Amino acid sequence: MTIVSAFLVTGSPLHFLRPDNPPWKTVIDGFDRASRALAMSRPDALLIYSTQWMAVLDALWQTRARVSGVHVDENWHEFGELPFDMTVDTALANACVQATKAAGITAKGVDYDQFPIDSGTIVATRLLDPEGRIPLVMAANNLYHNTATTERIGALAAAAARSQNKKVAVIGVGGLSGTVFREQIDIQQDRIADQNDDRWNREILRLMEKGDFPQLDAKGLIYAQEARVDMGFKHYSWIKGAIGRRFFGARVHGYGPAYGAGAAVVEFRL
Amino acid sequence: MSKGEILAGFLAPHPPHLVYGENPPQNEPRSEGGWEPLRWAYERARKSLEELKPDVLLVHSPHWITQVGHHFLGVRHLAGKSVDPIFPNLFRYTFELEVDVDLAEACCERAAQRGLTAKMMRNPKFRVDYGTITTLHMIRPQWDIPIVGLSANNSPYYLTTEEGLDEMDTLGKATREAIEKTGRRAVLLASNTLCHWHFQEEPTVPEDMSQEHPQSYDGYKWDMRIIELLRQGKTSEVFRLLPQFIDEAFAEVKSGAFTWMFAAMGYPELPGELHGYGTVIGTGNAVMEWNLVKAGLAASASGPAANGRESALYGST
Repeated sequence: MTIVSAFLVTGSPLHFLRPDNPPWKTVIDGFDRASRALAMSRPDALLIYSTQWMAVLDALWQTRARVSGVHVDENWHEFGELPFDMTVDTALANACVQATKAAGITAKGVDYDQFPIDSGTIVATRLLDPEGRIPLVMAANNLYHNTATTERIGALAAAAARSQNKKVAVIGVGGLSGTVFREQIDIQQDRIADQNDDRWNREILRLMEKGDFPQLDAKGLIYAQEARVDMGFKHYSWIKGAIGRRFFGARVHGYGPAYGAGAAVVEFRL
Repeated sequence: MSKGEILAGFLAPHPPHLVYGENPPQNEPRSEGGWEPLRWAYERARKSLEELKPDVLLVHSPHWITQVGHHFLGVRHLAGKSVDPIFPNLFRYTFELEVDVDLAEACCERAAQRGLTAKMMRNPKFRVDYGTITTLHMIRPQWDIPIVGLSANNSPYYLTTEEGLDEMDTLGKATREAIEKTGRRAVLLASNTLCHWHFQEEPTVPEDMSQEHPQSYDGYKWDMRIIELLRQGKTSEVFRLLPQFIDEAFAEVKSGAFTWMFAAMGYPELPGELHGYGTVIGTGNAVMEWNLVKAGLAASASGPAANGRESALYGST
């Protein structure tokens, strides 16, 4: 089996930078459990797509063998830095570039010293694979790609892994509902900002737990619009494409707020 | 301390292609040139800036996007290497800049007093966005004037365009108050493209100008309409049309810098000087100047403002 595990996780830096903040503890604890599940699935590489790595011209793939540095989030600079040191599976990443191009989607590899790695990718990899042992394949969120194209790119990445006989874990990094507090709040009082958003998030997570694929497909677009979901929920499309539109249920390891927005850690049963 | 004032405002777009085309030593990639009319436009703007001799440059950039509040660079010295996440093949720039933290703090304080959420950025490891750097390099490549960097709060996208631009208007007014209070002689830089429809693919040779033209004819016509109004000093008409322009031309002025700058200047009905217009990967870019010293609305380095003209030229404040 090529895909050995799949996760949908938040890319907010808040939980990583302030793990002891009570409202953010459930998500951090969820990452702990997901991290153990990921390790047990023993992947050769992680296929990771982050809504926060934004591209405009092409489908971008990170192809530099090692990326390291310190990132400071554009919004949450007061909470500290996000150091990172990542190894890239360049053979698989380059295969993804070629496969994307062959499918008629313009694509490029990115191989530059100090290329800015986004907060979401850093947070997800630091919390899911704290020792940084598993090589990565990182894909960007092209703002002009819709959910169908994103799903297709996810499928292409999985096919590329299959052709190299690699076992991979799929990770979609992004938020749930997008209503945020626009003013300073006491972070100890953080909560989902909008009750309707909360209802929507819980409904979608429940459908994931049930593995109700048809209902998720039917409701996904409305959810994305009504709950202002991060980047139209394209991180879920990435996972859906990579796992071949098939899972039997999910375990919600954690759900909670990220300055009013929705954040979750979900593991899919494949 | 004498009362500070705004000497001029510039529409100063930030395509990294312009830095790439110029081949400054700070930028790693090398080019054969390209986008000359826009780069020459910036050369004219540089001469004008030189004559103004400002104490500080303030730049509002759409590529430092913040969700909670309007942020201000608040570290005196910032340095690093900025790699453009969209065009890393063109822009890998080693920068070093000095921030006028006192003015930044005053802007932040005034913005908060006017009811905006405002925050100082104090992390010394913060990487300054490429929009800020490109605009600053193109207008003043010597990097010898302190700066104030403002983030683009995402309110025009999160709220309605009108609600978001109302916030930018308030931010502009707060900025002017801070400049006046701190006694600075300031120049404002609105780091915005006009029509933002662009091509989805880059030419094999990025500086191959045979491939460069407006992506959208309708967008081009919108740009010309707006520029002509600005050249005639019909500022209130421009702001009446702005939401429609933003909607139909996907104009980057939605992100707020243009409104911020004009609000700070008091929306003068003053003809803007067009230094040049050109497209970059299909988007419309104008380098324009509103020189308040030449118009008698601000004092030159050697003389007082012609205050009598103020009421005739200023629109609503």
